Amino acid sequence: MARKDYAAEKDKCKRFLQEFYSEDDNGKKVFKYGAQLVSLAHREQVPIFVELDDVAEEDPELVESVCENAKRYTGLFADAIHELLPEYKERDIVAKDSLDVYIEHRLMMEQRGRDPADTRDTRNQYPPELMRRFELYFKAPTTAKPKVVRDVRADSIGNLVNVRGIVTRATEVKPMMAVATYTCDQCGAETYQPIQSPTFMPLVMCPSQECVTNKSGGRLYLQTRGSKFVKFQELRIQEHSDQVPVGNIPRSMSIYARGENTRLAQPGDHVAITGVFLPLLRTGFKQATQGLLSETYLEAHNITLMNKSDDDELGNDDLTDEELRDITEEGFYEKLAGSIAPEIYGHEDVKKALLLLLVGGVQQAPKGMKIRGTINICLMGDPGVAKSQLLSYIDRLAPRSQYTTGRGSSGVGLTAAVMRDPVTGEMTLEGGALVLADQGVCCIDEFDKMADADRTAIHEVMEQQTISIAKAGIMTSLNARCSILAAANPAYGRYNPRKSIEQNIQLPAALLSRFDLLWLIQDKPDADSDLRLAQHITYVHQHLHQPPTHFTPIDMKLMRRYIAVCKKRQPVVPEALADYITAAYVEMRKEARVSKDTTFTSARTLLSILRLSTALARLRMMESVEKEDINEAMRLMEMSKDSLQADKSSATRAQRPADVIFSLVRELSTEGVAGRGGAGGVVRMAEAEQRCVTRGFTPAQFQEALEEYEELNVWQVNQARSRITFV
Amino acid sequence: MMPSTQDWINDPLGVVEGMFAASQNNPNSGWEAKAVEFFKDHLKEKDAHAWVPSLNDVPLHYLKPNSLVKFRCLIQDMFDPEFYMGVYEAVDPATKAKVLRCGKYKDVTECGVDFNSRNTVTAERQTFYCVPIPGESPWVKESYAGSSQARVVPSTSYAPTRQKRSYEEDEDDMDTQPQKQREPHAGPQVPSEHHGNGDCKRRETEAPSSQAAPASHLDLNFPLPGEKGPSCLLKVYEDRDGFKLNDTVEVFGILSVSPALSALADEKDASSSLLDPADGMETAEEQRVHSPPASLVPRLHMLYAKPLAHNNPLLPAAAAAALEDNSAFLSSTLSEMAAVRAELLTYFTHILLGDALAAEYLILHLISNVYTRRDVLPLGKFTLNLSGCPTVSSYTERFYQIIQQLVPSSYYLGMTLQNMNQMRLVPKKDYVANRLVSGALQLARNTSLFLDESQLEQGQLDTTGVRNVTALGNLISWQKVDYDFNYHQMEFPCNINVLIASEGRSLLPSDCRIHLQSQVAPPDMDEYLGSIRMHPQASQLNKFRMYLSVARLLDYSISDEVTKSVEDDFVDMRKDDPQSISAEDLHRMLVVARLLSLSLGQTSLSRDCWLRAKHVEMLRRSRMEQHKCVNGNEP
Repeated sequence: MARKDYAAEKDKCKRFLQEFYSEDDNGKKVFKYGAQLVSLAHREQVPIFVELDDVAEEDPELVESVCENAKRYTGLFADAIHELLPEYKERDIVAKDSLDVYIEHRLMMEQRGRDPADTRDTRNQYPPELMRRFELYFKAPTTAKPKVVRDVRADSIGNLVNVRGIVTRATEVKPMMAVATYTCDQCGAETYQPIQSPTFMPLVMCPSQECVTNKSGGRLYLQTRGSKFVKFQELRIQEHSDQVPVGNIPRSMSIYARGENTRLAQPGDHVAITGVFLPLLRTGFKQATQGLLSETYLEAHNITLMNKSDDDELGNDDLTDEELRDITEEGFYEKLAGSIAPEIYGHEDVKKALLLLLVGGVQQAPKGMKIRGTINICLMGDPGVAKSQLLSYIDRLAPRSQYTTGRGSSGVGLTAAVMRDPVTGEMTLEGGALVLADQGVCCIDEFDKMADADRTAIHEVMEQQTISIAKAGIMTSLNARCSILAAANPAYGRYNPRKSIEQNIQLPAALLSRFDLLWLIQDKPDADSDLRLAQHITYVHQHLHQPPTHFTPIDMKLMRRYIAVCKKRQPVVPEALADYITAAYVEMRKEARVSKDTTFTSARTLLSILRLSTALARLRMMESVEKEDINEAMRLMEMSKDSLQADKSSATRAQRPADVIFSLVRELSTEGVAGRGGAGGVVRMAEAEQRCVTRGFTPAQFQEALEEYEELNVWQVNQARSRITFV
Repeated sequence: MMPSTQDWINDPLGVVEGMFAASQNNPNSGWEAKAVEFFKDHLKEKDAHAWVPSLNDVPLHYLKPNSLVKFRCLIQDMFDPEFYMGVYEAVDPATKAKVLRCGKYKDVTECGVDFNSRNTVTAERQTFYCVPIPGESPWVKESYAGSSQARVVPSTSYAPTRQKRSYEEDEDDMDTQPQKQREPHAGPQVPSEHHGNGDCKRRETEAPSSQAAPASHLDLNFPLPGEKGPSCLLKVYEDRDGFKLNDTVEVFGILSVSPALSALADEKDASSSLLDPADGMETAEEQRVHSPPASLVPRLHMLYAKPLAHNNPLLPAAAAAALEDNSAFLSSTLSEMAAVRAELLTYFTHILLGDALAAEYLILHLISNVYTRRDVLPLGKFTLNLSGCPTVSSYTERFYQIIQQLVPSSYYLGMTLQNMNQMRLVPKKDYVANRLVSGALQLARNTSLFLDESQLEQGQLDTTGVRNVTALGNLISWQKVDYDFNYHQMEFPCNINVLIASEGRSLLPSDCRIHLQSQVAPPDMDEYLGSIRMHPQASQLNKFRMYLSVARLLDYSISDEVTKSVEDDFVDMRKDDPQSISAEDLHRMLVVARLLSLSLGQTSLSRDCWLRAKHVEMLRRSRMEQHKCVNGNEP
């Protein structure tokens, strides 16, 4: 391969820096780098970032060369800038530090000039590194995919790579010598030594012509003020946990950050780093003992801190068309829902609800009022119906989630605690599970086991999505925009169909109404579903894998990415549908009044429907809600209510009016004992009839019941028909 | 050149270099694969692997440097990959000519390496930190050592010098203030390091025949406290992604104990790192962990690794790979299994105070194995909670000793309050030293973990204690351990048989709980327990050991026919009483049926077996009901 003509390459760099422009809104040319060069020349800016995306517009080939031989091109670009800078200098600048003064003096000395013919030792010429006060960095092209630490291998040495990870260690920032300046004790000449490697061998003998010819043996002394130092920091990053194959230890990598890239990251930060992957050269004895090994590091060009919530590697690259097609084919809603915890059999509607919880509704914030978009779900059910498994699956699936159990968390543990820092003695806030799950899901198992006082702590979170703290002089409110997924056991261990829902759940209505959906998962015997369940389980045991369903469950990673894409949509409810929703809501309220529904239908229900339907629209990647979405949202609401009432309805069907009347009269008789000290088991007829009529029974029904039960010999009616006596 | 048998054991590097030299004219020869193939083939020869000395039972200083050794180990930690010169150019001191050399399987080079040569090829390898299999039973170690045919002679050139140096060290240690003497010329971390060195050298001379005791000062990072044996740094060249943490492997590799490796570490410590920013990063701890003295932690350059499906030396070697291939062995064992099982059942019944049902469950537990995973759900785990253990005369400890006699690896964890509050169960990443600090739950697959809950007394669990109990609970319910990586946790699946011995119901979850029903009257208990320690004869013990290992390795299937009847059974049972059986119960019953069939040597579920499993489960449940009534305890 012919060697590259680097001089030509440098010209290319120069041309790019000078000529690159973009057009702003008014069609005016904006010279992006030209402007930066001006501020560089005036020492107003230190780092200059060359975005390879811009370079690609001019010269795609150059980008390739830069990526493959980044270290060399850093030098070329820097040289180019160095040569251009004087042209961009518009006014004289005031020296900022001693090094500036030095440089100025040196330049003046040079201009005063010895003979142009007088060739000087290269060492005594000013090394360009010394005169430069800017730092040049590349920004990787956005088309390049960030690499996993694990994939940065020997073949990427010298390349510009882009990695992501979590900082596990950062050293203090130390000055590192970039150019050492020496003066001779004999002739006073200055000698410079640019330093590239971590170690260097100091010069001892003066190489100036004067000393060499006179053989005066001038000694060199290091001059700290004249030397150039750069800030230097070493970081260690470790790959993200989701990039580690199962059963492997996360890998780590050393990062060297210089100059402006220092002090950007602290341990625990998620970062994306662009840099040049280089081998570390050792010298002297170490090189020999180190033998065949060479260490490597990444010389950082660009360190960006990432927010924890969008650090997800998967959310960033868009889905390919193929993947999209895979997901959005026929019945994708069922397919996606079915892919949630595929090892748990059945519960399709619950899974659909969980899917919507992951996607979330659209948050509305009209004029300062905030209406949350997150969906809260409470799962209730008999022990052993895989509630905890569902929770743990969601915990794993959601890109950001916290898992706690009610018994193990206090209100403070969920919200935030004020702690006294053991070192400084200052009060600090420590976020609890709900704060840490901001923009994610907080799964709370054993919700019912939580103390009431602790539970009230999350009321605020569930509606206002903030946590307000007023403790120990700290008054603040923290964001806690998380969906809550709670699982609870019924109050008596198992769901007791003979008790009302409130009695079974034993959660205050204030809390229950904050859940958009409440599911009761019951373990009901039903030959048909039992058989399917048995088939499912035996199949797993027989074939060591899941039974073939009509679809293959979508891979967790793909799900996460799809959900991330969905979350970017902000669908709105079109005007036309507003009436439909209002009508539906009014209908629901009416129904609730008539059926004496034990669950609540309130304004919150309406908001829930809106949330669910926007979540559905998001799932379809649409910009507006359609009628179908609302219908599906209402269906889910209906189903969740049904799940709570399934047993009730079968019980009421069996109850004839006569039975109800009987129980009313019985109630009356016991009341009588307690209340007015009347004889036990005797009820005045008129009173009983009145009670029944107020409950909506006709007198005829009452008489009927009276006779029926008299025949059964449960009670006796006296001759005057004024008294009922229980037998 | 065809090397003779002794050559490839004593001088494997010669073989490799020969192949490398031969391939020089032919760039596409693929000599690397050939070299690996060569060793693999030779090891396949009859008894060949027995000729290779094992690092497990031969003290390190008896082994010749750069010879082929084997090591039975668990991968405890994986370090970052390192780059080395796969091919380098060096100046031959004799001819002064430049020659290409192979850098593979080597740590140190001759002098005169041309670091700027264009012919250098950089390659990548990875280092694993390996420890002997934690909790390996003594009988396994003895049996392996006994079957080794390697002739090991103390290396003549090596031992005397070490002897001499260690005397010096001894003198040093006898000095009243050995530390103070050194302090003036050593950095703050050095004394402990030096001390560790000295200690260890001394111990090697003191106990050349017995297993080397680990130096207390240098933490070799064994998962279990009180473990012994060497650990090593394994350099892996091929197929690096095939290995996972906690895999158990038998490694054949080239031993490298060059003192230059330790010199490197010393030199780094001695020189001040102030001027060397690159060293600022590698802390002293990290240095210590990643390049410990080679005399303590030898390097092993892997040629070939054999994953161990089991660690039972009694099974024929070929059975390790695939049991089916060895049909002769299999058929002979299968026919015997029922008989051995009966014997074992009698033995266990005797130990479990005459409770035959509990003995039955104990057998099932000991052959259980997580055979597959479906997302979060592990299938085949069978954690047994043996409640009602007598608390007199340390019954549980004796019970554990008997189990230890039977299984290849096991660990006894007394759940005392102190242990729970202080022990490190979950491995934790130490970012300062850049290593994974091991914990007691970092165990190889199929290790028996014996939790003795009868040791638990009243008191308070602190934060560590709560975390430890949670970790145990997670282990039992999901067969996973969440390793602590400080900034996040990582889930590592495991396959550990947990047996909980407790008085009442255990505070930990379990798949199956059985209350011990003693057939022995309380007054006779002491006497009975005193006599219980009888050991069966060695031949019988070996039969039991084989039986347990084979039963675990068997394949298993369920025919469609039986599946159908199981399904119908389930529906019927639900019809009668829906509370009596849930999906979870069905899961468990299928696992019981599986284990029951396997324990009888049947590789597919028969109707009979299913009925028997149902019957056994029913007996157990009725006993639980009964016990609940007596105790009034909620189950």
